[in-house]
Amino acid sequence: MRQRGDTTEIRVAPQHVAEVMRTLREDEHFRFEILADVCGVDTGDEMWVVYHLWSVESPNWLRVIAEGLPRDDPRVPSVTFLWNGAEWGEREAYDMFGIIFEGNRDLRRIYMPPDYTSFPLRKDFLLADDAARSPGEGFRHVEQTHPPAENLRRSVVRRSKVS
Amino acid sequence: MAEAKPQATEPRSSVRSLDDPDIFVEMPATIFDAVPPYPPRSEREAEFYHLEDGEMLINLGPQHPSTHGVLRVVLKIDGERVIDLDPVLGYLHRGVEKICENGDWHHAISNCDPLEYVASMFSEAMPVLVAEKLLDIQVPRRAEYIRVLAWELNRIASHALFMGWLALDLGGLTPILWGFIERDEIVEMMAALTGQRLLFNYLRIGGVNGDLNHDFLSRLGDWMGRAGEQIEATTRFLNENEIFVRRTKGLGVLDRETAIRTCMSGPPLRATGVPYDVRRAHPYSVYPELEFDIPTRTEGDSYARYLLHVDEVRESIRIIDQVLHEMPDGPVMGRIPRLIRVPPGRAFIAIESPRGQYACYGMSDGSDQPFRLRIHDPSFFNLQAVGLLMPGHLIADTMAIMASMDPIMGGIDK
Repeated sequence: MRQRGDTTEIRVAPQHVAEVMRTLREDEHFRFEILADVCGVDTGDEMWVVYHLWSVESPNWLRVIAEGLPRDDPRVPSVTFLWNGAEWGEREAYDMFGIIFEGNRDLRRIYMPPDYTSFPLRKDFLLADDAARSPGEGFRHVEQTHPPAENLRRSVVRRSKVS
Repeated sequence: MAEAKPQATEPRSSVRSLDDPDIFVEMPATIFDAVPPYPPRSEREAEFYHLEDGEMLINLGPQHPSTHGVLRVVLKIDGERVIDLDPVLGYLHRGVEKICENGDWHHAISNCDPLEYVASMFSEAMPVLVAEKLLDIQVPRRAEYIRVLAWELNRIASHALFMGWLALDLGGLTPILWGFIERDEIVEMMAALTGQRLLFNYLRIGGVNGDLNHDFLSRLGDWMGRAGEQIEATTRFLNENEIFVRRTKGLGVLDRETAIRTCMSGPPLRATGVPYDVRRAHPYSVYPELEFDIPTRTEGDSYARYLLHVDEVRESIRIIDQVLHEMPDGPVMGRIPRLIRVPPGRAFIAIESPRGQYACYGMSDGSDQPFRLRIHDPSFFNLQAVGLLMPGHLIADTMAIMASMDPIMGGIDK
């Protein structure tokens, strides 16, 4: 049988994330104690932060989507005051998408080097652009075979049809 | 008359800019410069790299043999005691999530394979299960049984290696050889089934790639007669070994509340008394029809984590026994097209890997490529807890405690 129970979904504006998550975790009617996952998503138009919660009282997961984060300055409150394990998950989302989690004490890159400037999982990320901005000044095989101008022409942001 | 304080003990300012010329000031050769060659990027990093009198930093890794991969850990020590530590990841980062977005759903299976390279049957299941959930297709029953069989065999292979590794990090050379004897039999078995020893690429969207063959079944039947004997022998050797017990019992203790708040899963979480196993909490495949227990312990130390792995091996053998008796006939692959266009939507699935809850959140925009494939690796979150439980332990115990968490860097670094 296939695993069930991820159809319940809450969408919140980023400024309400902290209080919604606190209620879900601490209110005695909900008691979503386990944070199963935290990740960032770039839909092409905006950024999301997606949380999956689980409560012992139900076999279902609850998906909480903080939506409507602008792509040029995505900011969302951190949930590390509820789950300190979210710290690395949020660091990863910052590293890959550039989402700023306000209140995370350790918000720095986790995979990429400290002098790196791009956010690789964004939909407008191109390897050639990345190489040109990197400390090695872009002398990479990829860039020489595809001139940057051609790459720019092909850089169409893939937009989401999911809603 | 008050003497001027020596230069080295003056508190450093916590945040400095790269434009500040003083940041590259030359230090006297006798003083070890603990500050990395860039300004602190976060509050925590500034705090970590600020050293009090008598403290020093020491690097473990990234090529240290007992970090189980390329993990670098910066330890802040006072004498032999660890005060704080800062794991530095990314030495094995390949950008698997980005690669998956650029290939189609079938490519994602083999791309996710090397994430958990010790038990890759679990990590390669991620895109498969997400795509099946989005496509809303039912897998043939025989394929479900074969998957469970492969998963549980892989779990035993992984746990056998865990026990050897743990003993190796404590200085015992023999158990790793015994662990490899058990593991190698299973690896050869899986090679007969899938054609590969480690990165199987065996699961498919809608079933599995190929039915059970004679070579696999004869090896499995041969092995089932003495299943777990090697592991039981290792257990008899380790459980009463005084060095092993004294270096694991009471070390690296986590309590239940901290473990939940740190988003841990798998044996480290169950060792603190939380009976959270995805196979029971969120049933999938044919696990609801099988009889097995979820072993838990309450001590929460390294020894409890080790004993849990042994118990889980016994439960896995029980599951394999039932699966072999109840294996139905039929096809192993559903009728699905070669080019899969997954309907738009979002899905979240999780399975119980040897290290905990392996989860995946997939988004599809209706094309043949995943729009977003987020892999949640349990080792990543379990490794984070090492930073909480390490302060106060000796340097010699850091690797032993880390080994009891069983991290796999392939999944942590993605």
